[in-house]
Amino acid sequence: MKSIKTLNLGILLMAFIFTGCDDNLDLEPEQDLTPEAALGSANNIQNLLVGAYDLAGQNEIFAGSYNLASELIANTGELAWRGTFQGPAEFNRKQITTGNGFVADYWITSYAVSNQANLILENLDKFEEEEEAARVEGEAKFLRAAVYFDLLRFFSLPYKAEGGNSQLGVPLVTTGVSDASQIEYPSRNTVEEGYNFVIQDLTDAISKLPGSNPIDDFYANKFAAEALLARVYLQQGNYQGALEASNNVIESNSYSLTGNFAGAFNNDGNSTEDIFAWQITTQDGVNDMNVFWATRKFGGRSLTGDVTIEEPYFAVFNDEEDDRSMFFYTGDDTGTFSTTKWQNQFANIPFLRLAEMYLIRAESNFRLGSSLGATPVEDINTLRNRAGALTLSSATLEDILEERKRELAFEGFALHDVKRLEQSIDGLPFDANSLVLPIPQREMDANLNLEQNPGYTN
Amino acid sequence: MNPKLNGILTLIIAFVMQIGFAQQQTVTGTVTDENGLPLPGVNIVIKGTSTGVQTDFDGYYLIEASQGDILVFSFLGYTKTEIAVANQNTINVTLAPGASELDEVLVVGYGTSTRRTLTDNIASISADEINEVPVPSVQSALVGKAAGVQITQVNGKAESGIKIRVRGVSTISSSQDPLYVIDGIPLINSDENINDSPINPLISLNPNDIASIEILKDASSAAIYGARGSNGVVLITTKRGKSGATKISLNTSSGWSEETNRRDFINTEQYVELFTEAYLNAGFTEEDAFADFNSFAENEADWRDGAVDTDWQDLAFVNGSVNDLNVNASGGSDKTQFFLSLGYNKTVGIIRGNDLERYNFRSNVDHQVSERFKVGVTSSIAKTQINRLANDNSFATPLQAIAQIPFTRPYLDNGLPNPNTLYYNFLNQEVNAENKTSIWRAIANVFAEFYITPSLSIRSELGYDLNVQTAETFDGRLTESQSVGGFAEAQSVQNEKYVINNYFTYYTLLGENTNLEATAGMSFEDDRRKAQFVQGQGFPSDDLRTVNSAAEIVGGGSSRTAFTFVSYFARTSLNILDKYLLKGSVRYDGSSRFGVDEQYGFFPAVSGGWIVSEEDFLMDSETLSLLKLRASWGVTGNADIGNFASRSLFGGASYNGRPALNPSQLGDPSLKWENTIQYDLGIDFGLLNNRISGSLDYYNKTTDDLLLNEPIPSTSGFTNITRNVGEIQNTGVELVIDTKNIVSTNLNWSSSFNIAYNDNEVTNLPGGDIISGQNIVREGEVLGSLFMVEFAGADPENGDALFVRNTLNDDGSRDRSLTNDFNEATRVVLGSPFPDIIAGFTNNLYYKNVDFSFTFQGQWGASIYNAGGRFQSASADFFDNQSSDQLDRWQEPGDITDVPQARLFGANGTQSSSRYLQEADFIRLRNITLGYSLPSSFTNKIDIDRLRIYFTAVNLLTFTDYDDYDPESTYDVQANSNINVGNAFYSAPPAKTMTVGVNFEF
Repeated sequence: MKSIKTLNLGILLMAFIFTGCDDNLDLEPEQDLTPEAALGSANNIQNLLVGAYDLAGQNEIFAGSYNLASELIANTGELAWRGTFQGPAEFNRKQITTGNGFVADYWITSYAVSNQANLILENLDKFEEEEEAARVEGEAKFLRAAVYFDLLRFFSLPYKAEGGNSQLGVPLVTTGVSDASQIEYPSRNTVEEGYNFVIQDLTDAISKLPGSNPIDDFYANKFAAEALLARVYLQQGNYQGALEASNNVIESNSYSLTGNFAGAFNNDGNSTEDIFAWQITTQDGVNDMNVFWATRKFGGRSLTGDVTIEEPYFAVFNDEEDDRSMFFYTGDDTGTFSTTKWQNQFANIPFLRLAEMYLIRAESNFRLGSSLGATPVEDINTLRNRAGALTLSSATLEDILEERKRELAFEGFALHDVKRLEQSIDGLPFDANSLVLPIPQREMDANLNLEQNPGYTN
Repeated sequence: MNPKLNGILTLIIAFVMQIGFAQQQTVTGTVTDENGLPLPGVNIVIKGTSTGVQTDFDGYYLIEASQGDILVFSFLGYTKTEIAVANQNTINVTLAPGASELDEVLVVGYGTSTRRTLTDNIASISADEINEVPVPSVQSALVGKAAGVQITQVNGKAESGIKIRVRGVSTISSSQDPLYVIDGIPLINSDENINDSPINPLISLNPNDIASIEILKDASSAAIYGARGSNGVVLITTKRGKSGATKISLNTSSGWSEETNRRDFINTEQYVELFTEAYLNAGFTEEDAFADFNSFAENEADWRDGAVDTDWQDLAFVNGSVNDLNVNASGGSDKTQFFLSLGYNKTVGIIRGNDLERYNFRSNVDHQVSERFKVGVTSSIAKTQINRLANDNSFATPLQAIAQIPFTRPYLDNGLPNPNTLYYNFLNQEVNAENKTSIWRAIANVFAEFYITPSLSIRSELGYDLNVQTAETFDGRLTESQSVGGFAEAQSVQNEKYVINNYFTYYTLLGENTNLEATAGMSFEDDRRKAQFVQGQGFPSDDLRTVNSAAEIVGGGSSRTAFTFVSYFARTSLNILDKYLLKGSVRYDGSSRFGVDEQYGFFPAVSGGWIVSEEDFLMDSETLSLLKLRASWGVTGNADIGNFASRSLFGGASYNGRPALNPSQLGDPSLKWENTIQYDLGIDFGLLNNRISGSLDYYNKTTDDLLLNEPIPSTSGFTNITRNVGEIQNTGVELVIDTKNIVSTNLNWSSSFNIAYNDNEVTNLPGGDIISGQNIVREGEVLGSLFMVEFAGADPENGDALFVRNTLNDDGSRDRSLTNDFNEATRVVLGSPFPDIIAGFTNNLYYKNVDFSFTFQGQWGASIYNAGGRFQSASADFFDNQSSDQLDRWQEPGDITDVPQARLFGANGTQSSSRYLQEADFIRLRNITLGYSLPSSFTNKIDIDRLRIYFTAVNLLTFTDYDDYDPESTYDVQANSNINVGNAFYSAPPAKTMTVGVNFEF
């Protein structure tokens, strides 16, 4: 019968269609690699290292946003916040809420860098060359130390030079996560443990890294790690350590101050005085220093720039010839002042400038009564000369600290200097709860082992 | 092949072999339809016996019967006909199409059914209700028409995304959209916007091409779509030709539109007063205030004398318009039928710079190759061009202009937009920027249906859906891209999907008066998406706007991704004595999206119905014409997550031009679909010869193994992971009442009322609260509940903003004391983003040649948090223009008000709190239509079958206490978020549209 034949044909057809489709379920992603591949070769570990620089150089942390918090929290009228974002406005008011999106980004992005560094450090055995493994280890530890140092400075009560730093630090995470089973719920270590961890990483980095990075000179080298270590020691009030580290960087002669002050900023590549800078190109990275500090004409968020420089700041200048006192511009028709440091939208953001090393050495020498490398006044005059300012015949501690404000203004030092110098901000003592960022609410919600900083409820 | 299916198939084949047994007299005949065409497969039973046969392909039958037997002829969609056997040997029968609504044929997955035999809850919307509503999207035409189906346009942009939520939301991290299926083929439903402002993925469909839309709401109906049935299934059926004389129909309409609502903002005089006060309160001087005013104004007189008083809303809103033209031709011979249509729609939005233009072409053809073999094609091509706007969170979007200061001039004397505005002046977008999106959509479907026997057929469908979108943006030197000398981007997406469906349909008689229908088959689906983009900056001229002219290419990329589904399904239903209905279905679904060990899922459903009114004891009831009890249970899934969500992945990156790798996601290899178990208990009723009819349903929908983007400590390097954890429950009641209020020769009036209550609750969330912005997912609460600090007005003593502490006391109660320190107050749940009651009420009146219809929609129980309130109604915290209610600020001790003292930079109550939270209940006259058909005595003279003119309006009236823009206007950037629901942020209200139109039929 014809219909039976057709039926058989139909069943045959169905049977054919029903089988053989399963293979179609096995699709592989085309944009991504598996953890096995990504962690499986020396080449990919090097790629992950470059990725770690990429993450650390995000605008959410080192490419501008962290600096904004430091400057605005420490602001007592030298700056005005004119932007619409509530996050920075909270910094400026010193009334920070636990839902502050900027604060959440600091935490999240910093720990992403930490995780990436941990994954790299756990896979150094993929490198056949010992030298290469050492370099990669040093770079990863440099980046890890950089994020933990700022996490500690922002999210914890200040480090006390006299010791006994059992106040809450941040969780120190040393194992990488690339698999769901590795997720942990760490609690906070102490500030003491945190600083020891950072110093250990930087000490390792100094011993592992070469004096110049063989892959590319914008990656970290021994002196970047040492310069950061000088900064860490200074924050602790360990002037001997700061002195030696800063002196080593200066004496290495690997860097030199740019010919004039303007030359140190708005550079597409590293300047001669950049020990380490975050790389921004038109294609990669966002310069949040520009976004918030430049006028709209130069790429900023608002006509005046979100942050303007106000009259009280200019009092720090005592010399009209000082180039630094003229390193400002006004917005169109706005009459407000913006710093010229961040005028180029696609410029690198200096992280460790040689100028800072001179300032650390000068201050440390002064405090220790020594003159390793140079006398304090010589170091100060080195900077003043470059800026076209009159040289000083002698320098007090106040002179050195003021020079710091002239030289390093708007680069993210303000809050940390207030804390280490135990100054106050609008009547708030240096160790006030409200000058410490809250642990982000999302993190408190996700990890019940965390304890919130004092002064924050919701 | 799956052994279970093998069994079912064998069963079906066994049925084929069944043969009817004969008796005394031989009766033969032919059964035809109203047009005289033979009807194959008509069931013919001798009443009161199990003896039955079916007609063959020529409509011919042969049955042995005795004199006095009654032959019952029944066929899906036709009125059952009984004929007594006398001494004749030939009985030819013409079946009439079913007259009752109960015989209306409904499209269900992989087949059809009728209301009468349905054991599911399916909402059906006919073409009449969809056509002529002047909205550019199909979904908007359904508002208020289906019980338990909430349809919301994100906001007032013409191409704006649309959310359809069937019986509440049942997932946290997976898609909440229903599955859309057009003519049997699942549609691509991905929003391809490039600026976080969603585009309705179905914008390419022409509402005028649609014959009916069925929404499968319960598990019994949706389970046949297995892993994608949890959010309901929307089946769209396009119009097809009918044999007979060619009919040409033309519909053209034109109209205008405006925003449904505006808000009150302060004018120049009020601004000067309020802000001067705010300066003084903040420790500044009047001189400080005036100096700043001068910097915002061109001349002092502008603010001092009110010489400039700009209402920026006037500039943001424009008069919109709608022009719509549709022509279609349909007809055909006995063998071949066709439906051809052309459509054009131009919608100019109510927001400056937003418009949409769409061209549609469709041709649907059916051809009967032989009595056993039928083939057909549906094909449609659409092109849509949209002039788009920036998303709600950008200075360039028109509605953010409400923040500008009233004494700032919008334009300079030379006619160009004033560059010296507080925020970027959006008017530059019109002269110096463009944001165009073009969408090409081709949907085609070829089918072949072969009748192995008159009651056993196999149908194969091959469907193809192509969605190509190109988005091109340019921002010139006057715009926010000033610093880079102009910026342009071009992005293109090609998304294609092919679908193969093969299934058998079989029906037969089993024993006495028992019908059996069975369907079994498979489906394969393959979806591939490619995207490319390039960005450039630095343009020699603002007139050169493509990336070609860019001095520097600053970004680019391409990506490819895919997913597949392999599915097997079967369904069988029994109809015993037209009283007892039983249905069961299974689907076995495999998808590439899930972990290797969890690729397949099994989705069964069963349902039953009892038509009580067919029982003897109710047969003769005058009042009760229908009473049907239904119950169903079923399992559905939700598979709409990222294509490779189960895997840990590392993706490419770069740093300073060097290649890099970064972790892109953490995956759980045991990831599988969400499981929704839903049961539904329903009553269908008809009273007074169905003058009053309706249905009442109770459902309980429990989703577990939620696909959840669970937040994890970011100390892991990641912020979340997709896991199967948690449970959500939706329980609800739906009531539909249809009435024929007046039935007479000249006047007919019918009403349809639906109301649905839904209670959503997150019943299990092992990882604890998920909080995002002002929304929380918390066990025991509605998904995405609005969660924030409770605002308590201004302190009568000093004007400080007050908050309720709400911290937990030891006894579990909350500390209701007030504080002016925001950080001392804790957040609590203060509202739900979803309504718990939605309702619709439609009336149709026909009086002689006049037709009149209107639909009201309403919703109750939802709240909206206006995130923009922190700037718009902020006690003059910043220079943004303020809403008029800020004039009620606290001024001196003793003032009792909700508006704290005005303080510039004072953040006096501007934190995220319930100060900006409002209930969003509303009732809206969704659409109203008045039409007049010219008398045929007149139209016949000019060779026109029908000529009707009509007026129709959408959103004409809105009744609400909500005082932000509109209770249906929300933040477009969060439109695709499941958690950040119920937030507004400079979001445009929907359009109120009025059109007049003409229908011609030749």
